Parts: sequence; structure tokens; C-alpha cells
Amino acid sequence: MAAGGHTIDALGQFELATVFGPVGASVRFSQSNLMMVVAAALILALLYFGMRAKAVVPGRLQSMAELCYDGIYSMCVDQIGHEGKRFFPFIFTLFFFILLGNLLGLVPFSFTFTSHIAVTFAMAVMVIVLVTVVALRIHGLQFFTYFFPAGAPKLLAPLIIPVEMISYLSRPVSLSIRLFANMVAGHVMFEVFASFIVMMAGAGVLGAIGAIGPLALNVVLVGFELLVAVLQAYVFAILTCIYLHDAVHLH
Amino acid sequence: MSGERGGGKGSFEDRLASARRKQGLDAPPPGPEKSGSGGDLSPMGVGLRVGVEMVSALVVAVAIGWWLDKWLHTKPFLLALFVLLGGAAGIANVWRLMAPKRPPDGP
Amino acid sequence: MRPVAALFGVGSMLLSSTAFAEEAKKGMPQLDATNPLILSQVVWLAIIFLALYLLLSRWALPQVAEVLEARAATIGRDLDAARAAKAAADEAVAELTKATRTAQAGAQAEIAGAVAAAKDAAAAQSAQLNAKLDAQLDAAERQIAGARTAALGALRQVATDTASVVVSRLTGIAPDVHAVDSAVGAALAARGVAAGHA
Repeated sequence: MAAGGHTIDALGQFELATVFGPVGASVRFSQSNLMMVVAAALILALLYFGMRAKAVVPGRLQSMAELCYDGIYSMCVDQIGHEGKRFFPFIFTLFFFILLGNLLGLVPFSFTFTSHIAVTFAMAVMVIVLVTVVALRIHGLQFFTYFFPAGAPKLLAPLIIPVEMISYLSRPVSLSIRLFANMVAGHVMFEVFASFIVMMAGAGVLGAIGAIGPLALNVVLVGFELLVAVLQAYVFAILTCIYLHDAVHLH
Repeated sequence: MSGERGGGKGSFEDRLASARRKQGLDAPPPGPEKSGSGGDLSPMGVGLRVGVEMVSALVVAVAIGWWLDKWLHTKPFLLALFVLLGGAAGIANVWRLMAPKRPPDGP
Repeated sequence: MRPVAALFGVGSMLLSSTAFAEEAKKGMPQLDATNPLILSQVVWLAIIFLALYLLLSRWALPQVAEVLEARAATIGRDLDAARAAKAAADEAVAELTKATRTAQAGAQAEIAGAVAAAKDAAAAQSAQLNAKLDAQLDAAERQIAGARTAALGALRQVATDTASVVVSRLTGIAPDVHAVDSAVGAALAARGVAAGHA
């Protein structure tokens, strides 16, 4: 993980490797998937241990579980409207899966599965497929009027329709790139500054004193990355909500 | 504290009414609708989103153009066309991002 | 700060294909399409995400919903009870106020009646007293008048007798009783003393 003598390997941290020995290798179960399982387990554990008491006056853990529930629920209803209740479990799963993925990535020696474009893109494609299916089921073929806004001049149809379609298809791309880029940028910076620390500390007393600089930067960066982790999970979830709103209401 | 407690006359009624409203038992008094604009709205966040929207539109457009070119053997032309369309779609994305929200359509 | 981070990220992505290429020959591991683990990662993602979704939507979230609904029901019930209690209390207060007012009015009337009765009694008593005093006064006046008349009568008798004696001594002849009497009466009248009574 750490840097070598004179070069910086900022990207080695994203390398996939199988876990659980030959069994894991045979089913190609990587450490990224392990972290997904951990994230899922943590979410389920929070809800299980939080809601075990089923108290009318909640304890600390139960309050937290209820806060999570309530926050996502109100986001669904606010953004999508009344129909948002149906999508609530999906949004909840999505938000907390990404959030835990982002946060677990900040734990040393763990792995950030949201820093893999394949993962974020798969989730974004899942969202956009869901959105499209929902729109088609509610509005049928009327859905395709979405690509040609009412009132636009018919002459511009050959221009507007491809543009709108590209715009629609760019949604999963922008959704996945945003999350992926944020996660990668943060972790690359961690690695680069950490390498500076190691390099400078190895260069004598003066270097060791100078190494305080990147160390302090990394400490600040941890706080900043915590913020980004929450924010990006939130952005992913709320954009999903907005797309679902469009699918339900077809503006 | 003073505004919360020492209402004197009618304070119990006010508090009961507000508690009922909070629980959704009474209809809330008509007020301004909550504006449901999502995402991060700091200028820097908006800047980043603009970039991502443009880039992703172009990525999609290039992918479609390249694939159509390969399929129809029209090597550079459709790619060029779709880069233009992609730019337009990116601008449309950004415009949609920046445009003022339409009045909310129903609950 | 965020565009800085993003730029840094993009920059490092670009650098990854040039400067860091010697170290990491394949560039970004995420974009290494030849790695079968990328695909398997997505397959496992689908499995794990689906499992999480099913567990959450079928088991965990309904539990939370149940608790929240139970709480909302409890709070709603309590608030309804509070409202009912408040209404009852308001009613009781209103009734109490009414009763107080009625009682006050009754008391006021009773006090006024008592005062009037007392006034009447006092007036009657004083009238009785007055009458008694008047009667006594009359009696006294009458007595005085009687005494005076008697006294005046006695005075005339005395004057007549004295005049008869004086006249008989002076003249040696007993005067005519009637003449003396009328002379005394005239003299008394001249002095302002009404004959008989004054």
C-alpha cells in the first residue's frame, strides 16, 4: 500500500484481489465484494439491533435507525411525491449501500468499492433501468413524448430527439462518474500525501519536520472525505429520486 | 425558552395544536411549499456538476457515434455528428440543471 | 475545495497514464477491461445488492415502519386524549364560572334584601319611637298646659281674694264679688295674660 522509494503508486489501492483463498478465487470473490457484504451486514445490524427493543420511547441505537428510516422516507415523499413510498426500500438500500461503501473506504486497510467505475456504473444502470421501466409501466408509449417536449417546433424534431435521448442516456454516466471520480480523487490524494510523509520522513530530520505538512493535510482530508462520502451518497440517492419523479410525472 | 414556554393564555392550546400538526393529525396551515431542489447547491458543487454533465453527455454521444460508425461502416461521420449532438445534450443538461424549477405539479 | 479535489482526481487520472505508467503499467485498475475480477465484482454486486434489498424491504424496514406507526398511533391517541381532556377542562371551567356568577348574583340579591329588611325594620322602629316620643311630648305639653291653666286659675282666685280683702279693709265694705272678679279679669287682660289660660 505504501509508496516505494522514489515513485508513487497511488492506484495500487484500487487493485482487485480475491479473498478467502482458493474458494474465493474459484468464485472470483474479491475484497471489493467482501466490503459490500460488510456494508450490507452493517446496515442490517443497525436495523436489527436498533429495532430489537421496539420501544415507543427509542433508545440511542433505535433513534439512529429511525432517523435513517425517516430521513430517506421523507426524501422519497418530498422528491417523488405520494408514489415515492413504493420506491422507498430501493432508495434506502441504494443510499445506505453507497454511504457505507464510501465510509468503509476511509477505514485503513479496507477497500472502497464505490471507487470502481464498474460498480458505480452498474448501480447507475440499475437506477436508469428502473426509472425507464417505471415510466413505461405508468405511461406506456406516452413515455416517448418525454424525448420531444410539447410545443417545440416539429421541424427541430430530428435535432431535439437525439439530443434528448443522449441527455437521457447520459444520466447513468454522469451519476456513476460523479461518485467514482469523487471517491478516486479522495483516495488518490490520501495515498499521495501519505507517500510524501514516508518519503520526507525518510530524508533526515529536516524532512521529518517537513512531513508534518502532508500529515496535517491528510488529517484535514479525512474530515473532508467524510463529508464527501455522505454528500455523494446523498446526491446519488436524491438524483435517483428526481429521475423517478420525472418517470412518475413525465413533466 | 420564552417563546416556547411562557405563552400564558392559550399556550397549551398552541402547543397541543403544533404537536398534532407535527404528528399529521391536523392539516398543516397552508404555507409555502418546500422547494425540493436536490443535490449540493454550493457554487463549487454546481461547477463540478456542470462538468460531469457535459462530460457524460459527450461520453454517451461518442460511444453511440463510434458504435454506429462501426455497424454502418461510416467511419468518421456519425462520430463527428454525435459529438456535436453530445455537446448540445450536455448544454441541455446544464441548462436543465440551472433553469428555475417549474411550479410543482401536484403533491 | 471540491473542484480542487475533482481536478486533482482528474489530474491524477491523466498522470496515471503517463507519469505513473512505469509503476502501474496497466493504468487505472478500475479501467482494466481484461481483468475478469471487474466483471465478477459486478455480478457479486448484483447478488449482494439484491439480497440486501430483499432483506431490507421484506424484513428490516417493515419492522421500523411498524414501530413508527405504533408510536404515531400512541402519540395520536395521547394527543386526542389531551385534546378531549382540554375540552372537558374548558367546559368545567366554564361551568364553574357560571356557577360562581350565579352564586354571586344570588348572594348579592340576598344581601340587598337583608339590607332592605334591616332598613325597613330600622325605619319602623324609629317611626314607633317617634310616635311614642310624640305621644309623651303631647302628654307633657298637655300636663304643662293644665298646670299652667290651674296656676293661672289660682292666680285669679288669689287676685280676686286679695282685691276683696284690700277693698274691705280700705272701705270697710265687702265689695261685690262679681265686680271684683270682672275688674281682676280686665286687669289681667290688660297685662297680657289671657283670662283663664295663656
